[in-house]
Order: sequence, then C-alpha cells, then structure tokens
Amino acid sequence: MEKILSLDGSAEKKITITASCFMGLSHIVHLKDYVKGMFFALTEVLFIVFSPVIIVKIINLITLGSPQPDLPIKQRSNSIFMLIDGILILAVIALFIVIYVISVKSAQERYRELCRKKSYTSQKASLSASFSKAFPIAGLAPSFILLLVFVVVPLVFSICVAFTNYSAPAHIPPNNTVDWVGFQNFKDLMGGQATWSTGFARVALWTLTWAFFATLTCYFGGLFIAVLLKESKIKISPVFRVIFILPYAVPAVVSMLVWKNLLNGTFGTVNRTLMHFGLITDAIPWLSSPLLAQITVIIVNMWAGFGYFMLLTMGTMTAVSQDLYEAARIDGANKFQVLRKIRLPLVLYQTMPLIIMSFTHNINNFGAIFFLTGGNPTVVDSTTTSAGGTDILVTWIYKLTITLLKYNYASVIAVMIFIVLAPFAIYNFRRTKAYKEGEL
Amino acid sequence: MRNSYFIEKINKAFIMTIFIIVSLFVLYPLVYVVSAAFSPGTGIASVNIVPFGDGFTAKHFIRLFTETSYGKWFSNTLIIAVSTSVSTVVIASLGAYVYSRFKFTFKKPMLMSMLILQIFPSFVGMVAIYVILLRIGGLDQLWGLVLVYVAGNIPYNTWLVKNYMDTVSRSLDEAARIDGAGHFRIYATIILPVARPIITFLAITSFTAPWMDFIFPKMVLRSVDKQTLALGLFSFVTDKKNEFTTFAAGSLIVAIPFIIFFILSQKVMITSFGGAAVKE
Repeated sequence: MEKILSLDGSAEKKITITASCFMGLSHIVHLKDYVKGMFFALTEVLFIVFSPVIIVKIINLITLGSPQPDLPIKQRSNSIFMLIDGILILAVIALFIVIYVISVKSAQERYRELCRKKSYTSQKASLSASFSKAFPIAGLAPSFILLLVFVVVPLVFSICVAFTNYSAPAHIPPNNTVDWVGFQNFKDLMGGQATWSTGFARVALWTLTWAFFATLTCYFGGLFIAVLLKESKIKISPVFRVIFILPYAVPAVVSMLVWKNLLNGTFGTVNRTLMHFGLITDAIPWLSSPLLAQITVIIVNMWAGFGYFMLLTMGTMTAVSQDLYEAARIDGANKFQVLRKIRLPLVLYQTMPLIIMSFTHNINNFGAIFFLTGGNPTVVDSTTTSAGGTDILVTWIYKLTITLLKYNYASVIAVMIFIVLAPFAIYNFRRTKAYKEGEL
Repeated sequence: MRNSYFIEKINKAFIMTIFIIVSLFVLYPLVYVVSAAFSPGTGIASVNIVPFGDGFTAKHFIRLFTETSYGKWFSNTLIIAVSTSVSTVVIASLGAYVYSRFKFTFKKPMLMSMLILQIFPSFVGMVAIYVILLRIGGLDQLWGLVLVYVAGNIPYNTWLVKNYMDTVSRSLDEAARIDGAGHFRIYATIILPVARPIITFLAITSFTAPWMDFIFPKMVLRSVDKQTLALGLFSFVTDKKNEFTTFAAGSLIVAIPFIIFFILSQKVMITSFGGAAVKE
C-alpha cells in the first residue's frame, strides 16, 4: 500500500486529488501523518453515517412540514422546530466543508514541508507540532460554538422568518404549519398594506430622527460641559464633575422608570410642582402628546447620556499633547481661537468612531424608549400595528413578537435595521489600525 | 488690567450659573428617588412635591425583604452578572489572543463576520434563542441566560481585546518562547497581565450590563424564584399598580453601589474609555 512519494514538488497535484477524494486520505497514504489523517477520516465517516438524518432535516427545512389537522397537536409537524433544526444542520454542513478545506490545505502544506526537508518527520515530532497547533483551535472553540449557536443561527433564523408567514392568528405552530411566502412580507410593509406601510415609514423615520438628535444632544452637551470644566478655573469643579457623572452611573431601567413617574401627566411630580407654583394651570402632557413625548424622550435621554460623552471628551482632550496649545498661544491665538481651531477639531476627529457607535447604539436603544414611554402615546395606526408615537424599530419588534405574535413582520424590520446599520460598522472597521496597516 | 479681572469674574459667575442649573436638572430625579424611598406613601401621586416633605420611614426597605422576593432577585442577578463577567473575560481574551498572535485559514473572514454580527441587535433572534434554549433545557435556568449574554458579548469584546493585544510588543512572547513557555503559559503569565486595563474594562462592562437588561430575562426566566432585579423592579410600577416608593427603595439599594463604584473609578474610566476606543 505504501508508495514512494517523489519529494521534488511534482506530486502536489496527486496529493491534492487524494486529499480531496476522502478527508485525511493523503495524510494516511502518502504523508505518514496517521493521527491527523485518522481524525479527518473519522469526521468524514461520521458525516456519512449521519447523512440520512441530515437529508431528512434539509427536506423538512424546504417543506416546513405539511398541515395535519386530523392528528393530535403533539404529533403534528412543528414548522419552527424544523426551521431551527434545518439551520443548525446547515451550520454543521458549513463546518464540515470548512474542515474539508482545512484538511486539503493541511495536506498540501505538509507535502511542501516534506519537500523542503527531504525526509519524513517522526510521528512524535508531528504529534507535538499538532498539539501546539491545537492551541488556537482550543482557544477559539468556545467562542466559535457560542457564536454559532446563539448568534449566527438565530440571525439566519430571523432572516428566514422574514420570508415565511409565521404570524398570528393562522400560522402559529404547533397547531398550524408555517410556509415560505417569498417577498410577501416586504411587499406588505412597503406599500402592500396601507396601515402597515404607513406605520413602518413613520416608525423608521422617527427612529432615524431619534438616533440623530439623541446622539447630537448627548455629544454636544457632554462636550460643552467638558470644555467648561476644563477651561473654567472654578475650584469646586471636581464636585460638579462627580454630579454630572451620576446619571450615567444609575442603571437605565431605574432612571427611565423614575422619569416616567415624575413626568406622568396626571399625578406626576413635575406637573404637580409646576401647578403648585402657579406656573401652569393645566397639566402638561409630557408623555401623552405625540410630539411633546418625542421631545421629552430626547431630553431625558440627554440627561442619561451626556455624562458618558463628557468623560470621553475629557479623556481625549487630556490625551492631546499640550505642545499644540502652547504653540498656538505663542503664535498669538487667544483662548477661544485655540478652542475652536485646535481643540474641538481634534476631539471631534478622535471621537468620530464613538459618535457613529453611539448613533447605531441609539437606533437600537430599547431601554430609553421602552421604560420611559413604552412606545406610547397611541397614534392613528396604533390599533393595527401596535406601534405608538415614540416607538422605535426595536421596541416595535418587541411588541410585534411579544404581544401581536407577528414574527414575520418583526423579522423583516430586523433585516432592515441590519441593512441600514451594516455600512456604519464597516466604516468604523476601516478606520481601525489593523485594517489601515494592511494586517487584514 | 482691572477690566480684564472684572471680565474674568463675570465669566466665572456665568459658568457657575450654568453648572448649578445643570446640576439641578441632573440631581432632581435622583434626590426625588431617595426621598420617595423613605416616604410613607405608596404611589407617586401621594408623594410630596418637596423632597423629604413627608417624613421618614424605613418600612419600604423592610417590606422589600420580608414581603417581596427582593433578596432572591438580587442574588439571582448577582450570580448571572458574575458568571457572565468571568466567562466573557476568559472566552473573549483567549479568542483575542489567538486572533492577535496566530495565522490560520479563515482568520480574515472570521474577524470580519464578528464585526458584522456585533451590529445586529441580539434580541431580534429572540424566537430562535427561545427554541434553542427549550431544546437544550436552558429555559427558565440562570445558566441559559448567561450563555445568551456571553455569546452576545463575544464579537465586540474579542475585537476590543484583540486590538489592544496587537499593540503589545511581540518580543515579549518571543523571549518567553525561547525560555520554553507554551502558548497557554504565554497567554496567562505575559499577555493577560499586560492587557489588564482592557480586561478590567471588559470585566466591568460585562458585569454591569445584566443588572439593567430586561428583554432576555423576561423571555428566558419564567418562574417566580428565577426573576432578576430589572424584572422585579419593573413589576412594582406597571400600568396596573403603582408602588413607586417600594420601587424607589429597591432601586436605591442597586444604584448606590453602582454610583460609589463609578465615582471611585472615574479617573480610571476616563483613561480606559479614551484608551479603549479612541486609540485604535
């Protein structure tokens, strides 16, 4: 069985072909790397043994089961389990392909190494090399598996659901099955169904407006305070700094719920105080008039968020070398000019990735909206869509899944958020050092 | 000269006024929570508009620990937060070390996909996570929630730590390797200590997040004795009932350690924040 392998590099094609025929074959036959070869071969054997199961699961993924109204509920096919199992199986197949590619590459690499050394390394040396090589695999395995099961699979799942009719009342397993419907949900939300598409357009627009103003107010609020703290020669400014950080230190659940109660229209403290001093006669509908509620949400968010940016910009301003300021002063620039022409542009440039990160964070800022207003007040389309005047896309997704059980629409919205946010993430990625230096 | 002195004075007074106004705005709700926690009433409507205007009582604190499951919620949340923090630090730093120091097939696509995954709000896959936890028996279990949190923390934090480790000179590892240290020894005894600032940052952020999260506990934890603080506190001020004073007392107990910690560590935070994110 043992063949003499020419070690001048001419057998590379042969190695590649044997390696591609069956995983690990060329490790065992040609390269005398038995341990690795057995491992690869075992992977492929397992895959073949389980292939009937895999095929069934894939078929289920395609059909999502058929309605069986005559069977008791427990025995009916559950489309959602089928969908998840199918996606998990797809992940297993992808993993198998990846291991396959790695096995072929490893065979080629080992052959090249043999050609260089002109002799077979001992089994023992190869084993210890394998152990050393196993470290990166062992190091990445936990994060890889967790990511696959709890991030990637759910992600693919929700993308898939966007193309099904998984929704109340007619398509909720286990009673009924779910079917693939193509782009129907996208069409519904973008003009197909009048109430839903106006609701979607309104919420999407408000989400962007909210994220823009929430980021802007927090950033410039924080920057303003940071500059004042830095420039002013007030002795007790550290005390103020501590005070200004406080909101950032309080958990959002707590602070938003407190504000919700303080601003309550009828019995909230703010209105009662204003009335007591005779400043207003009628209660101000802080959270119950759509426009005012939107403004209130942004202001309360500023209360909670400016401390973070104050810390950040102070950190950045300290980091910038003092020489620059000195140089400008010597050239005759006054305080204000130094601030406007040197300090602020530098800070702005340095914190740009964070502004973008904060913008994307605010698009998904569930807590600020959900605890403060719960998405209310209700507006024209709220009865059908359940989206209120201050609901942003994520809180709407929450309502769609928890109360309305419209998983299909919720998934469409999630996909949309993803499409809108991806460019921002890529932009930030391209600014990182690793990317700029060509390591990636 | 006198004139500029005068301008300086006015400037100072002006800035001072701004600071005081902002401070009032910042402190108003906080002072109010403290006063409500000690106020004898129940709902927000019955609390005096003047802070501490109703007198002083500790009955809400007593009620929290005798009539509600506050202690249980607190210990549940603490268990979740500690486990999440420890697991995140171990898994993310190990992964980051591998990404930073090794070359392997599919490294680039893996790094890139982690960055993309990080922007997807993790709860959009809620239904899938629910079904997966149901299948592996993790529903209504604290560890199920921890798994979800850790998985959600990995992409961004691995990146963060990797970027930091990239700045650590490789000559350190080389020297250790010549001395015969294995990969794990180098990671544990050389890289981790050097990367301590970013590891601390990671430990803190992953520890604090579970205290405030609402969606996942709501979905994963069903039984009464498995609730977390956020769920419990929220249940005091729903649309159906308003026990604002009890809520305030409960919030105070959580918020005070947080605030003390933040004030003590604000200097570190300034440099950490600056260093962690801006430096890249």
